[in-house]
Amino acid sequence: MNPLCYSNPSRRKFLARGTFGVGSVALACLLQQEQALAVPSNVLLEPKVFDLTPKAPMLQPHARSLISLFMHGGPSQVDLLDPKPELSKRDGQSYDGNVVFSFFNRATKRLLGSPWKFKQHGQCGTAVSELLPNIAEIVDDICVIRSMHTDTNDHGTSIRKLVTGLSQPDRATLGAWLTYGLGTENQNLPAYVVLGDPGGQPTFGIKNWSNGWLPSIYQGTVVRAQEPRILNLEPPPHLKGELQRQNLDYLQQLNRDFLDRHPGESDLEARIAAFELAARMQVDAKEALDISQETAATCRLYGLDDPVTKEYGTRCLIARRLVERGVRFVQLFLPSQPWDSHTDIRKSLPEICRKTDKPSAGLVKDLKDRGLLDSTLVHWGGEFGRLPVSEGDPAKGGRDHNGEGFSIWLAGGGVRGGTTFGQTCEFGHRSVVDKVSQNDFQATLLHAFGLDHNKLTYIHNGQQQKLTADQPCRVVREIFG
Amino acid sequence: MTGQNCRVEMRYCLMRILVCVGLAAASSQPWVVSSAAAGDIDRRGTPLTFEQHVRPILKAYCFDCHGAEADRKGGLDLRLKRLMFAGGDSGPAITPGDGSNSLLFQRIRDGEMPPRDKKLSEKDQRTILDWIAAGASTLRDEPAEIGNGIGITAEDRAFWSFQPVRKPAIPDTSLHASVRTPIDSLLLDAMKDSGLSFSSDAEKLTLLRRASLDLTGMLPTPEEVSQIMADDSDGAYEKLLDRLLASSQYGERWGRHWLDVAGYADSEGGSTADAVRNFAYKYRDYVIRSLNADKPFDQFITEQLAGDELVEPPYQDLAPDEIEKLVATGFLRMAVDGTGSGATDQEAARNQVIADTLKIVSSAFLGMTVGCAQCHDHRHDPILQTDYYRMRAVFEPALDWKEWRVPAQRQISLYRETDRAKAAEIETEAAVVAAARAKKQSESIAAALEKELEKFEPPLRDVYRVAYSTPANERTEAQQKVFAENPVLLINAGNLYQYNQGAADELKKFDEQIEKIRSRKPFEDFLHVLTEVPGKVPTTFLFHRGDPKQPKEPMAPGGIAVLEPNAQPFTIAEKAGHLPTTGRRLAYAQWLVSGQHPLVARAIVNRVWLQHFGRGLVDTPGDFGALGSAPSNPELLDWLASEFVEHGWSLKWLHKRIMTSTVYRQASSREPTKHLLDPENRFLWRKPIQRLEAEILRDRILEASGSLNASMFGSPVPIVEDEVGQIVVSPGADAFRRSIYIQVRRSTPVSMLQQFDMPTMEVNCEVRSTSTVSTQSLALMNSDFILQQAEQFATRVVREVGSDLEPQVIRAWHIAYGRPPTNVELKRSLEFLKHQTEFVASQLATITNKTEQPKESATPPEKKDAPDKVKQPKRLEPSMQALTNLCQALFGSHEFLFAD
Repeated sequence: MNPLCYSNPSRRKFLARGTFGVGSVALACLLQQEQALAVPSNVLLEPKVFDLTPKAPMLQPHARSLISLFMHGGPSQVDLLDPKPELSKRDGQSYDGNVVFSFFNRATKRLLGSPWKFKQHGQCGTAVSELLPNIAEIVDDICVIRSMHTDTNDHGTSIRKLVTGLSQPDRATLGAWLTYGLGTENQNLPAYVVLGDPGGQPTFGIKNWSNGWLPSIYQGTVVRAQEPRILNLEPPPHLKGELQRQNLDYLQQLNRDFLDRHPGESDLEARIAAFELAARMQVDAKEALDISQETAATCRLYGLDDPVTKEYGTRCLIARRLVERGVRFVQLFLPSQPWDSHTDIRKSLPEICRKTDKPSAGLVKDLKDRGLLDSTLVHWGGEFGRLPVSEGDPAKGGRDHNGEGFSIWLAGGGVRGGTTFGQTCEFGHRSVVDKVSQNDFQATLLHAFGLDHNKLTYIHNGQQQKLTADQPCRVVREIFG
Repeated sequence: MTGQNCRVEMRYCLMRILVCVGLAAASSQPWVVSSAAAGDIDRRGTPLTFEQHVRPILKAYCFDCHGAEADRKGGLDLRLKRLMFAGGDSGPAITPGDGSNSLLFQRIRDGEMPPRDKKLSEKDQRTILDWIAAGASTLRDEPAEIGNGIGITAEDRAFWSFQPVRKPAIPDTSLHASVRTPIDSLLLDAMKDSGLSFSSDAEKLTLLRRASLDLTGMLPTPEEVSQIMADDSDGAYEKLLDRLLASSQYGERWGRHWLDVAGYADSEGGSTADAVRNFAYKYRDYVIRSLNADKPFDQFITEQLAGDELVEPPYQDLAPDEIEKLVATGFLRMAVDGTGSGATDQEAARNQVIADTLKIVSSAFLGMTVGCAQCHDHRHDPILQTDYYRMRAVFEPALDWKEWRVPAQRQISLYRETDRAKAAEIETEAAVVAAARAKKQSESIAAALEKELEKFEPPLRDVYRVAYSTPANERTEAQQKVFAENPVLLINAGNLYQYNQGAADELKKFDEQIEKIRSRKPFEDFLHVLTEVPGKVPTTFLFHRGDPKQPKEPMAPGGIAVLEPNAQPFTIAEKAGHLPTTGRRLAYAQWLVSGQHPLVARAIVNRVWLQHFGRGLVDTPGDFGALGSAPSNPELLDWLASEFVEHGWSLKWLHKRIMTSTVYRQASSREPTKHLLDPENRFLWRKPIQRLEAEILRDRILEASGSLNASMFGSPVPIVEDEVGQIVVSPGADAFRRSIYIQVRRSTPVSMLQQFDMPTMEVNCEVRSTSTVSTQSLALMNSDFILQQAEQFATRVVREVGSDLEPQVIRAWHIAYGRPPTNVELKRSLEFLKHQTEFVASQLATITNKTEQPKESATPPEKKDAPDKVKQPKRLEPSMQALTNLCQALFGSHEFLFAD
């Protein structure tokens, strides 16, 4: 039997337990909407109906949900996931490769071997830096891709390439495409959840989860670290609960009266149902974000007992709770760009590793324990990596941007654990073997969800748009089991 | 357009066939291109002919390689039957009378042709087979000569929308009491065999509401409503329409419809910065003013396409009417234009501006998209590639991609002589500071260099210094190596801050100083226009496959051949009259409004119909071609088009004609028997119910709450990102103006408007989509904007009728719905208010008790989860809270959001 059932039990359950007595109306109208979708419109210009109901993928999917731990700023591959003995050996020597710098005042050609030790871990023996002791524990469950490249050294450009397919601004992001293509399993929760950091917005803010020109329902919904957690989700405290229920009952009565005067108007019926969905969302989202019932052991797994890891761990835990409830895509961001290790890498890199290492590994372990890792794809990575040469004084300096080669890891969702894929050159500067471009990466992610990147299209501006934007690319099938 | 975009466009063309024709294929995924096949040919017993049945299939699938281009694959040309018979390298393509042994059929059947993914449907294959089997007949003798390209056939010309507008005879429906106008006669005549008839008239109040929302987007005040309702005279409804049409809110309502078509935006787009278009709003104001004045639409079209050619250059010391004409050309400046915002591929960006502008022009006035013909002859409509470039030649003198003017260079200053003198004086002053700044900058760079050089051995320093001062392109290999090995020496103005932040800050101070000096200049107002540079006439070339890098033959300006009367093609004289400019756009506009053009008036009346009824007589207002839909009532479309022109292209006349018709005045409810006969209401036996647009919802809320600031025109109301990343209208005096005045920034649409389907302008918007999602409900339930406005609404009600509940409910109903509540509604609402008042009071009591206990207790135990900076909610008096909740419910209700 197909372990991934797309028949959407959660939605049916919801319809059966209609809160305000319009369940049957809601059911009828939603079914009608689905039927409306079943027959493609005969004209491109006719208004189309877009919704978030689950859509069957084109191919047999590996994954059902995606969690992306986005590491803004460009984690240093040669210090974390891509050991380079040759670089260490020639530490301090001049590098004769061609280097593109962003910061000239501190630019040098001096090779900088990693100040941290790498060791092999797990049964697979994948080598990981001592900065990531917890991720080291899950190497048998992850696939490290060491040959990523975007060929861009600018944060914004590289992020756009990675999440929207091209460097040009204002295109739709990966999460918007995914929810456009697949809808979501749980209509009472947002389809695409963005878990923001209490420390502030990531660099480029809302552009990171923009729907671009896709309909706005595919935009990421920000769940903030503080109240109000979801925008417009709840009224001010004194209007919550019973009072709001009364208000809604009163409103729905007005609406039913109007519908009675205009029987058969599906839009009116749908609108009544939408209010009901909104009310359920309030309850279900609240419940999904409430971690008070989690066991102490689970909390420890995510590092909630340690002030350094508590905040990020909490969000990783919430991510698990969300995918457990059928949310299609959860994305975690960090404030600004903490992996942007230009200066004092010896201090700044361990800090950000400390904050994220245990929660990230805990998430994968927990998903695995609960049998969710098969259907959940976890992504860990940033927009590029860093140069093998020292930026500024080697003792106190850091590393400048490098889009020519960097590492990410994936876990679950059909990806073969205990593996590595691709290689950079002996200095970790350029991707050289089994190169994976940003568009390969996108095609591969969509493939994991049973979507063909060439067929997932949207007409915009009179043109057929795709996430991979007709760039030369391929699905990296080798990483799947 | 780049080669790549062009390929995308081509694929899109192919896909359109599949989407459009593949209706039967069921798919629950809107994004899956149906693989069902084309070829829905009506064969009603007529014998198959090449021209009518076979050529359209071959044109869609085969002409790319076997006809359109001079270089034909396999030497095979499929454009004529005799050429097929003559065949290519593999011999004759057809053997008349023997379909299954004809190469043409075999190659298609075996899936070898077409070589790409898109294959012919079985039905199309069958058509070809049957045609050959039946002897491969043609309708008429084939020409002895055939030039290059696909060409235009008699069948092409016969397509309905390319035929001249013909005013139909009005059928005699005088026996039907329901008929009020010829519109009704034509519609009723179409219904006669269907068992349908018009529904009874809507109630007077419903009609009042409908007409008001339709024409102004607002309801009259309760007092006006009772006054109108009290008028029982014969022409009362006509009087109402006159009153609404005379309202200045009419231009704001219908102006917005036109701005959708024009693709109006207050920003350039095309870059991350999405630079602001400071003066685009004058075009928005021009549109509102023109509609309010009922400017004849032919004049409206002419001014937008060629207003600059109606004014004598140079454009200085302009009179108000000259300004108006120039501002009108803002229409041609609405396309995304990133050429001034650091577009990396300038050539592509410029050509994209031209392509988008042509798209806007053609979809607005022709109801056709010509974009497909950019790369090749259109495969479905008889629009030739040469047509596209002839049309491009009309606009190229103003949009000269070789001598491009970026947005900042396309403004006309409204400075007068004295202003200019004063400004020049101040500029001289600024130049002094600028010189000091330049000096400081080079000194700082030199100092930074010296500092870096100190880190090198003394003998190297001189060598490096010399290398630095040598221009980059003159450096010796050894000098280049210096910088490759020591990138730290590559100091320039752009990265100086990385070396010496202090110096960079000082430079910034200079900039501020310069800025300050310049701020003393007299305010310089600009017009956002499209103009030509007199005397500069670029040659327009046809681009092979749409690629600007492959220009072919030069093209003279003109229109779309199939739209022109056969005998007299539309051409533009080399030198048009007295104009110092080319006069091409003026001539083109005059052709469009000549009354001879088959599409213009049809396209305009169809749009007006679309807004009044929620769908056009042609369902695809931007595509009157083969892939669009046929008119549901062609006679009515033509009657409206010809009457519109005869009545001086008056929009207000058109509105009134439509709105006084029975079809508009009908009730909107569905009669079950009629609903069974025509569930889609194609025959318009009832008035469709329509959801109001995002802007109108917001405007109505402001109107009901009494917050609306009705001032018109001027700079856009600014927008800001709030602390949670939502785009909202910036607080301030202008915050509550009508939505049409809110800044339209392409990259940051106002969140609430976007939620309710306001379009994001990438090019333009022909039809808005309507979504129904729970985020809209959440906004109506919980957003700050709604909560605030509901409270304002309640405050207004109390202010106007005092504290008694019954008058409050009645007043709220009047304001929101323009009617009193029914008895049931009143009773239920009073119960709601009483119950809620008690409930809130009891809640308050509980809280007061709680907080009165240990007041200064230790920090709350749940401090860690305490929300940051949560505004202490303002608590209203229980009765006020209850009324506020009622008012909010009215905002969220169907009756507020829909016109029935």
